[in-house]
Amino acid sequence: MMGRMQAAVGAGASPDAQSMPAAQPAPYLSAQALVLGVAVAVLLVLVGYPLLWLLLGAFGLPQGFGLEHLERAFTRPQNFAALLNTLELALGAGALSILFGVPLAWATARSDMPWRRLVHALVALSYITPPYLTALAYIVLLGPDAGHLNRLLRTLFGFQSGPLNIFSMPGVIFVIGIHVFAFTYFLTYSALKSVDASLEESAQMLGARPWQTTLRINLPLVAPAITGGALLAAIDSMALFGPQAIIGSPAQIVFLPTRIYATIGGYPPRWGEASALSLLLVALTVAGLALQRGYLERRSYITVAGRGVRTSTAVLGAWRWPLLAYCLLLVFFSAAAPVGVLALTAVSHSWTEPLSLANLTLQHFYTALFQDQVSVRGIVNSFKLATAAAILAVLIGAAVAYLDVRSKVRGRRLLDYLAILPLGLPGTVMAVGILLAFIRVPLPIYGSIAILLIAYVARFLPLATRSANATFRQIDPSLEEAGRATGASWWHAVRRILLPLARPGLLVAFLLVFIPAFGELSATILLYTGGTETIAIAIYRLNDLGQLEVVSALAIFTIVVVLALTGLISWLSGPDRSFAAAPPVRG
Amino acid sequence: MPLARRSLIKAFAAGTAAAWLARPGWGQNAGPTQASEIDLDKAKAEGRVVLYTSLDTQIVDAINAAFKQKYGIDVQYFRGGSSDVTSKVLAEADAGRPQADMVDASDLAALLLMKERGLLKPFASAAMPAVAKELRDTDATWITDRLTQAVIQFNTKEFGAQPPASWADLGNSAMQGRLVYFSSANGDGAPRIYTLARHLGWDLVKAMAATKPLRVQTPQIITQVLERGERGAGFLQNDNIAWRSKLQGKPTDFVFPGEGVPSEIGACGLLRSSGRPHAAALFYEWWMGSEGQAILVKGGKYSSRLDVAPPEGSTPLAKLKLLTLDYAEYKRDKGKILDQIASIFGGEWGN
Repeated sequence: MMGRMQAAVGAGASPDAQSMPAAQPAPYLSAQALVLGVAVAVLLVLVGYPLLWLLLGAFGLPQGFGLEHLERAFTRPQNFAALLNTLELALGAGALSILFGVPLAWATARSDMPWRRLVHALVALSYITPPYLTALAYIVLLGPDAGHLNRLLRTLFGFQSGPLNIFSMPGVIFVIGIHVFAFTYFLTYSALKSVDASLEESAQMLGARPWQTTLRINLPLVAPAITGGALLAAIDSMALFGPQAIIGSPAQIVFLPTRIYATIGGYPPRWGEASALSLLLVALTVAGLALQRGYLERRSYITVAGRGVRTSTAVLGAWRWPLLAYCLLLVFFSAAAPVGVLALTAVSHSWTEPLSLANLTLQHFYTALFQDQVSVRGIVNSFKLATAAAILAVLIGAAVAYLDVRSKVRGRRLLDYLAILPLGLPGTVMAVGILLAFIRVPLPIYGSIAILLIAYVARFLPLATRSANATFRQIDPSLEEAGRATGASWWHAVRRILLPLARPGLLVAFLLVFIPAFGELSATILLYTGGTETIAIAIYRLNDLGQLEVVSALAIFTIVVVLALTGLISWLSGPDRSFAAAPPVRG
Repeated sequence: MPLARRSLIKAFAAGTAAAWLARPGWGQNAGPTQASEIDLDKAKAEGRVVLYTSLDTQIVDAINAAFKQKYGIDVQYFRGGSSDVTSKVLAEADAGRPQADMVDASDLAALLLMKERGLLKPFASAAMPAVAKELRDTDATWITDRLTQAVIQFNTKEFGAQPPASWADLGNSAMQGRLVYFSSANGDGAPRIYTLARHLGWDLVKAMAATKPLRVQTPQIITQVLERGERGAGFLQNDNIAWRSKLQGKPTDFVFPGEGVPSEIGACGLLRSSGRPHAAALFYEWWMGSEGQAILVKGGKYSSRLDVAPPEGSTPLAKLKLLTLDYAEYKRDKGKILDQIASIFGGEWGN
């Protein structure tokens, strides 16, 4: 019975369907074809078309055709230096992510260390804070001379100068490391949570000591998760334009994204070289993702039981305290200190003056939120853009997910892949593709806010698609089928049955796009123009002028918005999924 | 439903054509070519002016506010470094989507490039007689609005009675780790470094680079770094910023070195593509007029107008030995020059 109904619904135009009551004349197939057609067209325009132009641009098109741009990208010393620096950053950030992420994950997942939830929540905070804000915070904390921590160290230990300088390669690696270690942390955490206690118990019965169990049972079992997380951290670190520019530029260290920005930001813009460098960055990213996939697939043999995993908790005794100290030190420097120092700077007349009541003011919030032309416009634009981008991404993402989950249309896998693809592409690269692609179309896109909308939808579509996909999978198709069987049209069934059930999930999808779009920097910096500044641009530009206090006020405003919305996501997704829902914020 | 489809295609084609034709710069009235042709009513009807500028926002805000008060016309502006401004104008022109009505940049080579590409519109400003002949275009597509001198700024607590007084002093080994200079990643600081090299030799520039100077993104930050005492002395491109810091009672002072002072021409022009030619020309005349220029001077800038006095308490330009650049040459050799500067200082110069 069920099978037959499914066949009828699936076929749509079958005699059965046509003999249904006149209340639903909707031709299922054509409605579905329409959704498919529109989704394919939009995806091709948003994702495929810019990527195609990246390739064409690298060969010098449309001005000519040749290999000189690719040759320049690989042979000019400044490009070569950018490549080497980018690789060094990726290796460093990947290694740091293991050093930071793995002990923390073990402590919160498997030990009886106190304050595990606090540590977990602060890791999430360091992850959702846009990394360019962390970078700004570290200028205030570790600026070579005036940085608060440096002053403290000089007072305590009597150094003549310094002693720490954030404007250095280790500085860039550290600032990016304390953001991306969350990848390794979360993957290792969930892997450790899925190791069944029986394995450890067996080892212990055979006489293994607890540390031996950890090293010889747990570690090998979660090793693929650790490597996979570190690879993701490394890949993400290569794409983070914000901290690379904010810390790297004063330190005279150039990375591929900042190099790409400079080749287009100077005059006359060198599109060909920028495209060729973008392709290089894409190649690095794809290679990293392929490696990561390989590692994560190997993980399959360790998922011992599907449900009802029983995990054991390591009883640490006195060792709890050093472990806690390490964890607290880490989350202090990765989350509490940067956010705290931004808040402090935002309410200080001057950040270099000592903290005192006389030095407190709310003036910078007033300047940032009401006075400064660019800043006010940026806030309005960011709200508008993030809302519009999130609505569009959910619409397209839901259509793609629906086709993947509910239909057997040929090509839906490819569609799904196209919708996930931007997740691996750095914002700078997408912006170059979008610039090349839309600079010549006879529509008012370039130089308008529309080009930013296109960039945001394209960049963050994967988040909406994946979230919608997961949501639809949880809703039994038989509910819609029942509706259809009782006379509802396809659209009626979707609208009255599927969408109401999916609403909380789709709202999460909306927020998952809204949050990163709200603070997006790396694509915006190449695409904005006078009048279309966003909050990230206001922060970046004001920082260029050295107005760190106003910048901090804007930063705190951004973090509050992002935190409030993340809280909303946790609440909507229930306690179990609260951290899985943390969005990948990129600068 | 062939009919419906046909009408849909028609509607789409019409919409596309309309959008295409509605692009600024198409079918537009060329507008006034001299000050006397500006129509105030038309200017007000055009509603606003879009300005792309590299001038300090505090000065721009003051000029715009006075303009708005007088004519009731809004000025919307994009502010960035000269390279940001120029690359945006060029890219928008490439896209056929020009946004700006007027452009102002402290890099004459940029305006020469725009002129070469036919982006600038000849306009006989009423300010022309007040500006020296060599500071304006023979075709009247651009005019100098300001002259910005590079100075040595220093922290007064740092050097006592013997502050650095010459460019050569900045290359001294005593300056090791004490110097700060500026350039954005797009190489905005390059023209004045090159001016120094062209007149006083590359060895001087190399000696300065050998002191391991701190590089910052904007001239404003040089002054902040000096005010905080993080560095002792700065090769500061903008005399007005040093002037303001001293005026505000910060622990800084500045000198115009006797070897000569790199002077940079800031110039402005009207965009040929502007869809608001009267409002744009009205603003251009305001900007170049004695009232607009007086606001500029109040912000510490030297006006290009001979009839406008220098900033309060500043040395008159006639008393300084100004070192200038052949901008046509700079425009031609920019790539090579940036390569050379990058090889000396390292880091990103947009080359």
